[in-house]
Amino acid sequence: MRVLLVDDEADLASALAERLEMRGIEADWVTTGQEALDRVATRQYDLAVLDVRMPKMGGGEVRDQLQARCPNMKFIFLTGYGSEIDFKEISNRSGEASYLVKPIDIQDLIQRMNELLKPQGEGQ
Amino acid sequence: MKTELDIIAQAGLRYFGRTTASISHELKNALAIIRENAGLMDDYLAMAEKGLPIDMAKFKVLTGRIEGQTRRADGLIKNMNRFAHSVDEPLRKVNLNEMVELLAALSHREAAMRQVGLQVAQCQQPVVLVTAPYLLLTLLGHCLTYALTAVNAGGTIILKVQGDTPGAIVFESLNRLAALPPDAFPDERVTVLAEALGAHYQADSAAGKVGLTLKNLQ
Repeated sequence: MRVLLVDDEADLASALAERLEMRGIEADWVTTGQEALDRVATRQYDLAVLDVRMPKMGGGEVRDQLQARCPNMKFIFLTGYGSEIDFKEISNRSGEASYLVKPIDIQDLIQRMNELLKPQGEGQ
Repeated sequence: MKTELDIIAQAGLRYFGRTTASISHELKNALAIIRENAGLMDDYLAMAEKGLPIDMAKFKVLTGRIEGQTRRADGLIKNMNRFAHSVDEPLRKVNLNEMVELLAALSHREAAMRQVGLQVAQCQQPVVLVTAPYLLLTLLGHCLTYALTAVNAGGTIILKVQGDTPGAIVFESLNRLAALPPDAFPDERVTVLAEALGAHYQADSAAGKVGLTLKNLQ
């Protein structure tokens, strides 16, 4: 599994990436939507973890642009709001979305990643 | 039909909601960084228990991050507390230097999301007048939002307390303000809040300025 973390808080993205690597998940991190678009031009990812609120390009727009380039990529959103406000905004933007509220539990994140990347039909 | 009191109450509540949402969002980010970096330290310790050496330099980076984010969260809570106490008295003596500094701190995230920098240029002398602190913060917040909307990404707004004109606060962009719809400023809220505070406002797009001159309400 290879994932791309996109969060404007570098100290969060870098620590999370290292923790995922320790758990056998290949993880790269960037701090802007533009950097994410540049990354996917040269490297393939199974999944992107996107912060909803970022300057310039928010998580919803980053997802739209990544999805256009990588149709099979899956997405998980991280929101800093303690409620579902951000999630509703993303859902309104482009349908159903998977999200976690910060601060997250890494096991929850990994479980969510596994669920999204589970081959279709498995476990049904 | 909305009365002026309704408009003031709605503007005040809206500003309160917007500001507390922004602070809570920033606090969540600080907590998330603390949690992830503490988790990473825990991972290093678990590796050490298995006999793998700990990279002390890396470990120190993580403790530094946690300390930095604790300071960030503490600053956010201090500002939130100052903001909360701005409603304690309907009228009181206010130092405009402190008020503008608080406004800049509360608006930091809003500006960052628009990729606009905020700088405070305080007057060298304290500028003290009697006013309604929460209404003033609300009015300043609305004026700053207008200025932020009108400045292009990458720009900077300087929040100035002017010494030569007592009670004058100017939000000055280093560039011309972008043309916004004519009804964008002053909107109904700014008009009514300014009237309640006895303040004069003006926006000069060509000069890149939004200004307020406040009256002593004593």
